This record gives sequence, structure tokens and C-alpha cells, in this order.
Amino acid sequence: MGNQNRQDNGSAKADDQLGFAPLQDKHLLGIEGLQRPVVEGILDRANTFADLPPRETLSHLKGVTVFTIFFENSTRTRVSFDLAARKMGASVVNVPVATSSIKKGESLIDTAVTLNAMHPDILVMRHQNSGASLLLSNYVDAAVINAGDGRHEHPTQALLDALTIRRRLGHIEGLNIAICGDIANSRVARSNIHLLSILGANIRLISPTTLLPQHITEMGVTVYHDMAEGLDGTDIVMLLRLQQERMQGAETPSQREYFHRYGLTREKLALAKPKALIMHPGPMNRGVEISSELADDVERSLITTQVEIGVAVRMACLESLAAGVLGRQKS
Amino acid sequence: MTDVLIQNARLIDPASQTDSHGDCLIREGRIAELSDQPNTLKAPKGAEIINANGHVLTPGIIDMRVQSCHPGAAHRETPQSLANAAIKSGITSIICLPNTYPVLDDPEMLLSQCRMMSGLSTAGQDLRVYSYGAATVGLKGEAMAELGLLAEAGAVGFTDATKTIANSLTMRRVLSYASMLNRPVIQHAEDPMLAENGEMHEGEHSTRLGLRGIPDAAEDIVISRDLSILRLTGGHYHVAHIATAKGVALIRAAKAEGLNVTCDTAPPYALLNDIAVRDYDTRFRLSPPLRSEVDRQAVIEGLADGTIDAMASDHSPQDRDVKSLPFGLAEPGYSGLETLLSMTLSLWHGGYLPLMRVFALLSHNPAQILKIDGGQMAVGATADLTMIDLDRAWQVRGADFASLSVSTPFEGAPVQGVVIGTWIGGKKVYDHKLDLHANGTR
Repeated sequence: MGNQNRQDNGSAKADDQLGFAPLQDKHLLGIEGLQRPVVEGILDRANTFADLPPRETLSHLKGVTVFTIFFENSTRTRVSFDLAARKMGASVVNVPVATSSIKKGESLIDTAVTLNAMHPDILVMRHQNSGASLLLSNYVDAAVINAGDGRHEHPTQALLDALTIRRRLGHIEGLNIAICGDIANSRVARSNIHLLSILGANIRLISPTTLLPQHITEMGVTVYHDMAEGLDGTDIVMLLRLQQERMQGAETPSQREYFHRYGLTREKLALAKPKALIMHPGPMNRGVEISSELADDVERSLITTQVEIGVAVRMACLESLAAGVLGRQKS
Repeated sequence: MTDVLIQNARLIDPASQTDSHGDCLIREGRIAELSDQPNTLKAPKGAEIINANGHVLTPGIIDMRVQSCHPGAAHRETPQSLANAAIKSGITSIICLPNTYPVLDDPEMLLSQCRMMSGLSTAGQDLRVYSYGAATVGLKGEAMAELGLLAEAGAVGFTDATKTIANSLTMRRVLSYASMLNRPVIQHAEDPMLAENGEMHEGEHSTRLGLRGIPDAAEDIVISRDLSILRLTGGHYHVAHIATAKGVALIRAAKAEGLNVTCDTAPPYALLNDIAVRDYDTRFRLSPPLRSEVDRQAVIEGLADGTIDAMASDHSPQDRDVKSLPFGLAEPGYSGLETLLSMTLSLWHGGYLPLMRVFALLSHNPAQILKIDGGQMAVGATADLTMIDLDRAWQVRGADFASLSVSTPFEGAPVQGVVIGTWIGGKKVYDHKLDLHANGTR
């Protein structure tokens, strides 16, 4: 199904009823392995949703049930999925974790089997362990969207980052994009490295050696430890959140040393291309990864746009997977 | 006890390096006569006569690294399931780690464990069960356990099991004291600080999968330090489940230097590498972790050139619950007894090891390392034997294991080598034909 639309994704109308399914896989667990046309199909579709008037609500996913289950605290991603599902007309159940049996020692698989018995169509999960979403997908009939698994992937974040860039600059191919900060512990970095590579960007990582995983260059990136060197000639500076506990003598000596060497300031940004843009997946540590003043500069910072685009991207992802689920039910 | 005459067997004895076609007569639990011509020995009156049809007869396998789970973890393995799994796999002696509940750091505990574990398999036969004593109290790596009393209670060596003796001073004292008792100290070589929270081998794949890495250096740092300590203390140092190229190289050099060093590995480290983890399949969550292809090849080289002395199953049973978790939360370990022989034989089938070497690794060498009975086929020797059809194929299926633990990194692997019969002290404790009728498998 959806074949006729797959050929002209760019012209797909927001009011097409479940005709759109660029994702051939049942689940969206990661970016690694996706093909460029698939990625571009989702971005095109999300782009049409991003242009909808703010109060517009669609009915494409009427009757579809979306469960969100977040084993790690999250505000923006969870709200973003929730809103995206509602805007598409789906029913949303936010499964609580902190107060539920899960905290009482129920295993992920038991939880999955229990939830599966309620027949959700789509399960959106975040979990602190890498590979947890793949594990979940083996035990449920629903399509699974990985909303972040450990240090592995966070595919919708990468997709929304790509669309944000595309809408602002018109293209991604050939851009110099620097991802800066805690690469080792970041699923956002991994998803973005995969996605932006698929779309033809040149990716640089700027990070202290202690926050870089081994053999990262095998993923086709250039590594810099000096921020000035790394920023030279970049179009986009993508900052990552540094967890508090990593700043105090573990992976880096101190917060002030981190900010001194890797915090983005107006002076450092001046080393990048003249109109270079700043991105951050949030939540930000002002005065750690980025100076507060720069974070609020609407000319250079895309940070709020990212949040806005996130809803549109998740609408497209939900729609694509729902089309697959319903298609399978019909056949 | 009935005498047994096994005729027409391929007799492979790694102790004397003989590989001949002949007969073997068992009387009173010992090997009474051997002949290097088939069908030449005469059967005493009333003896059971077995035609081996040219299949291999070799000393029973001595598995020097087994987690018995007894006492304290009967949901993972019982003495009965363990013994059944062992004898059907040609294993006649096992050496248990002291990481039970409670820990075997007490001589009374150790004695009662060995007594309890023996004689509990289906036919009430005696699997030979030995134990290591804990090197430190509670396996905590601090105060030395009662090594002397443990040795008198039967401990064949000392180890902190799955934990590394990380404190250099403790290691010095344990090695030194054990040398006086003429027992080896067995080390799980993994620097606990460097490996902290580690989930798999550190390399390109851990980076892609977002799993925390355990660098190969975690192994060689410990081995290197321990070798320095060994030069101070003397004694016998043994590295368990060696898995890295650097570790193998260190042992090779230490042997050349003349240090009293031995080591073993387990089949996964010779046959699998870290790529296996790609789908977060917890069957591949092992300790030490599956290493890189370079490491795997170095392990094979070590097995071939004699640097690695023994192949152990590293049987570390886990129940389903602790394997049905996200990779990082799952317990490391696998059910190893029932694949030990076939997987080691696959190195012969693949042309990496001579057959004689395979059986030296499995029986003679572990007996030598631990100075225990077995591992040889000579007149007068204890008749712990196993008969093997080297070529018969089967497919590894955890669900068919006699072990309660069904998680195996070799799930689905086509392998060759089936145990036809096992004798312990001259008594037939396993007969494949009977097993076949009982279970209809293999």
C-alpha cells in the first residue's frame, strides 16, 4: 500500500488518508540502515505537517491507539509524541512508569506482554538501556518507535534535526556539521551521525577524548579535540547535553573547565561560517554547553524551532507506521 | 562389578600421545589391558563386550571451570541436571567454582558440596566432582580464606570465581600461601575498575550499539601484574578463560621465561567474536565478553601452539528471567557443558587443531594442571572413558539440553561429534542408545 504516494512524497497532501508509508520496516528503532529515499520521504511528509496552521487537527489516525512509555524522565519528547498523536486524531495513553508495577520489579518483557494485550497500534518507548526497543519489538504486535534507547539511537530527534536544517538552509548535502560534546553517552549523536551522513553532510565531532567512544571514526566522521579548529568552516554547530555527574572529575575535570574548552560562546562561534546556526536537543545546561546569551539569539539559535518541528516529524513517523500496522491488519 | 571389553576402538590417549586401533579391557574400575590391534584381547568370563565400530575411545573429559549453582541456585541448575548434562557430553570430572550461596570459603561447606554433588545423576552414578576453594573470605578480595584447611578438605586450587583478585597485596599473599600448599591460583583476569559497568568488548561494535565497552586491556593489565607478583612469590598461576590476543601473548612469553603459568579458554572465545552481539541478543552476553576477530584468532593460535593448556566449558547457567532483559541488564553466562566437546572438535574439523591436541586440552592437561586423577588411558589407570562418534552431526538446541539452563551462544549451530558412551570408574554411566530411546533427540 501507499505505492502511488511513495513515488511523489513531496507532493503528498496533509489530508491524504493513511496513504503514506515510506518506512518499509514495521518499527522505527534507529536510523542506521535506513535508505536515503525513505528518510527523505519522511522529511517531505513532515514538512507538509510543519506548514499546517497551529490549531489544525487531522483525523488520519482516527481509531489508532498510541501508547507512550518512558522509563527515563522526559518532558519534551513525551509531550511532543503525545501532541503529535493527538494532532493526527489518534488516542493516546501515557503509561506511567514511576508509579507502576514496572518500578516494583516487573521486567520489560512482562510489561510488554501486558501492554500488548490491550492492543495498542503503536508503542513509543524510551529506555535507559541500549537495545531495549529492539527487545520490546520482539514481544509486541504493535509498531514500536524508539524514543531513545540508552546510548544507542534516538531516531526522531535526528529526523527533526535534519528537517529543521533543511527548512532553514534548503539543503543538507555538503554542509559541514559539527556535533559537539558528550558523544560517548549520546544516542542523539549516533542517530545524527547516521542520518546526516545518509543525507550527504560532512560530520565533525568536537569532544574531549574522554567523551569519545572508541573507533568512532569508523562511522565516517572527523574528530577534533580543539573547538576552534573544529568550528572552522562549519555551517551548523550541534551541541549535546552534558550530564552533571560527568562534569565533576569523572569524564571531565570540572564544569568551568568544560565550558572553557567546549562551551559555545559568541567568540568561538565567530570561528565558524558567518551565519552558522546553533542546535541543541535539549534540555540545555546554560553556561555549560552554551552561553545563555547565545542560546536566546533567535538569529543564530534553532533550538526552539527544533522543538516545533519535532511535533511535525513525529506526526509523519506515527502516520507511516500506522499505515503499516493497519495495512497488515487488512491483509 | 562386571568386566567390560571394548573392542575395535580408535584409542586416543593424549597422555602417551598414542592413537591406535585396538581394544580396551576394564576390570575392577581400572584399565586392565590395552591392545593396539583390534579384536585381539580375550574377554574374561561374564564380561560385557562392546564393539566400538572404530569410534574413538579416549579419557573422560575433565571440565575445569563449572559453576555448579549448588548450593543456593537450584533454579539455574541442580546437582542432578548438572550431572546429566555432564555425562551425556563425555565429561567424567568437573571442577566447581566456589561462588555458591553460601560461598565455598569454609572447609566444611566445600566437603559437603563435593559429597552432595557426587552420585546424584539419573543412574546414581558417580560424576567426579571437585571444587576450588575461595581465595578470599566471601570472595570479597580482601582477607585470605582458610586456604590450608580448604586444601585438606579437597580444594584443588583457589579462586575468587567470577571476580578478579584485584588487590595486588592480597594477590601476592594468596599466591605465596597457595604455593606452600602446592595448589594453583586461578584468576578471572579483568581489571574491575577499567571494566566498570562494561557490557561488551570495546570496539567499533560497542560504539555502534551504544553499549559500554570493556577494553581488551582490562585482561592483560591483570595478567601482567599477576606475572610480576608471581616472580616475587613463586607458585602456580592459572588464568581462566583467556580471551584476548595480548593476554595470550603475555602467557606465551611467561612460559618462555620459565614461570609456572597455565591458562584455559572456553569455546566461545575460540569460535565467536563481538559482532555476534549486533542484535543485543543476550545469549552473547558473556564474561569475559566476546572479543574481536583478532583476539579470537589469537586464542586459536594459543590453543594450537600450546600456550593455552586447557579447554573448559565455563558452564555458567542462567535462568530465562535474567536473560530476558535488555542486554546491559542481562546476566552474563551460558550453558556450556553440552557443547564443550563438539565445539572443541569443530576446531579439529576445521583444520585448526590436531585431534590429539583436542583431547589433551579436554582431559590430560586439566588433570595435570590440577594434579587430579584421570586424563590418561594406560594399564592400571582409572577407567574414566568416553566413546565418541567424531563425525555424527547434530544441531545445537538449548531447549534439548539436560542442563536447566538453555541459553547458549551456539544456538542453532550445526556441529559434529556425539558421545556414544561414558564410563566412570569402569561403570557405564551414559549410553547414547538408551538416551536416544528416552528422548528421541540426536
